[in-house]
Amino acid sequence: MMPLQRELNAITVIAAREIVRAFRDWMPYLAYSAFSPVLFLYVLGGTIAQNLSGGLSYNYLQFALLGLIVGSLYMSTMSSVTSLVQDRENDFTQEIFVAPISRYSIILGKIVGGTVTSLLQLFMFFVVALVMKISLAPLAIAFILLLVPVICFSGGALSVLIASIFSNSPKGVDQMVILISFGQMFLSGAFIPVSNSSGVLGILARAMPMTYLVDLLRGLVYQGSPAYSHIVLYNPLIDLAIVAAFSAVFFVVGTFLFVRGERNR
Amino acid sequence: MQSIIHVEKLTKRYHKSEKLAVNNISFEVYPGEFFAFLGPNGAGKTTTISILTTTLAKTSGEITISGYDVDSQAKEVRQNIGIIFQNPSLDLNLTAEENIRLHVNLYGIYAYKPLYSLMPQEYQRQVMELAEFLGIRKDLFKPLKTFSGGMKRKLEIIRGLMHHPTILFLDEPTQGLDAISRRDLWDYLRKVNKNQKTTIFLTTHYIEEAEYADRICLVNHGQIAFLGTPTEMKNRLIEKYILLDADNRSALRSQLEPFNPEITEDGKFKVHFEQQTPQQILFQIKTPLSLMELHTPTVEEAYMDLVENKTEEAKAQ
Repeated sequence: MMPLQRELNAITVIAAREIVRAFRDWMPYLAYSAFSPVLFLYVLGGTIAQNLSGGLSYNYLQFALLGLIVGSLYMSTMSSVTSLVQDRENDFTQEIFVAPISRYSIILGKIVGGTVTSLLQLFMFFVVALVMKISLAPLAIAFILLLVPVICFSGGALSVLIASIFSNSPKGVDQMVILISFGQMFLSGAFIPVSNSSGVLGILARAMPMTYLVDLLRGLVYQGSPAYSHIVLYNPLIDLAIVAAFSAVFFVVGTFLFVRGERNR
Repeated sequence: MQSIIHVEKLTKRYHKSEKLAVNNISFEVYPGEFFAFLGPNGAGKTTTISILTTTLAKTSGEITISGYDVDSQAKEVRQNIGIIFQNPSLDLNLTAEENIRLHVNLYGIYAYKPLYSLMPQEYQRQVMELAEFLGIRKDLFKPLKTFSGGMKRKLEIIRGLMHHPTILFLDEPTQGLDAISRRDLWDYLRKVNKNQKTTIFLTTHYIEEAEYADRICLVNHGQIAFLGTPTEMKNRLIEKYILLDADNRSALRSQLEPFNPEITEDGKFKVHFEQQTPQQILFQIKTPLSLMELHTPTVEEAYMDLVENKTEEAKAQ
């Protein structure tokens, strides 16, 4: 097998393992995938919409749907990638790390696996949106599907960095993932508008990688509509450049630190 | 002959530890050799094997495996080796066969296929043959959660042999196996060693397994206490003697005088035979014997002797 083919094969098999594991442990996977869209979109989004919609010049539920899809896919991939620390606890990383493949392929395989398993959640978001009569044009769905790999890679890359810092504590990693992902959900404008945020909150909002992912999706979906100027913060190309920079740094530094942590004991 | 494993002045100190886990050790392993790395718990065996297999960084020293540097050419090193870890490194959410398939895919031997039935015939034949040999064929498609410790160990062995490595590292491979499985496994590993010329680097607690080794490296407190063949180990380190006694001890003493016997605490005669054979000694004795015990060393005794002596030395320091 050629070197590149070997790496692609490794990425595929590691991703496939994540998918098989999710389906083998189907109860929590199904419950999380099915109920998180209901909880986020119907309960949280619905409640805010009923109380805020009068003061907004755009459809809040559609605004929240896009943000919540980004946030949920991001969180879902983060959780999947942190299973690296669980693997380490169970000594399974020995088997993966002694294989003649790039360490980046291992992490990328985890991210791809997390991306695929999060698709069920995305599908459930579409179902809940349909039930709630939130309009979503076919082009908007195409943009969402197009950005799924970008969103998941970004979440996975941040997760590797967290796992590398807290690699000795699976519980610590889980807590940090929850803290950081929810922090980003609140600050990034996923379901609360941040276009008027200022001061510390404004700075924090702009420091969150998720802010640019949410803005990128909304920038594409709302392009040409009157709501664009009320909702979108930056040009989608700027968002994409910032997301790429954040993700590349997190991925490279996180993988380097995780591997170093494995070897340098 | 060019060595396949070259270790020079290897030292390892774990973070936050004042003690050296491995202290300036050097040795060579040659192609096709069966090399046993022995030592008590905490001697530095697993640390050394982890460094050789690129999963742990060394503090200092130089190591090449098949001519590749373990740090700068780690991927090339990993291509040449197989390892059976001390602690099971299996995914309990997968079936036994899925664990094997994952392994061969990671090593790039076969392209990924989502089902066993889609894998090439050669893979299926190899898996079945090894599973049959180790007696887990009927359990291959069962979840690993149902496996006993011994079955998991067998599975790891099948997995480790699937990619025909040039060097096979075995870290306590027979731990948890019953006597019959252990014997069968060693029959197979010896066949792999001889027929496929696979170099075997073994650490084990079962000292008798080292009897089959071409050479033994004994480590204790992170240092090499002995390096040589099992015969050298037995000959150089353990006394060979006959223990004799008779009702007429004074007659026996006079007949044994030319052999300079040692008298034990309970008055028996201990006659060492470095130059002569036991037969030559017995030939000189006319007195009827009430006791005759021939004491020839085993590797286990030589091992115990070395470990205990080294431990005493370490305590004295």
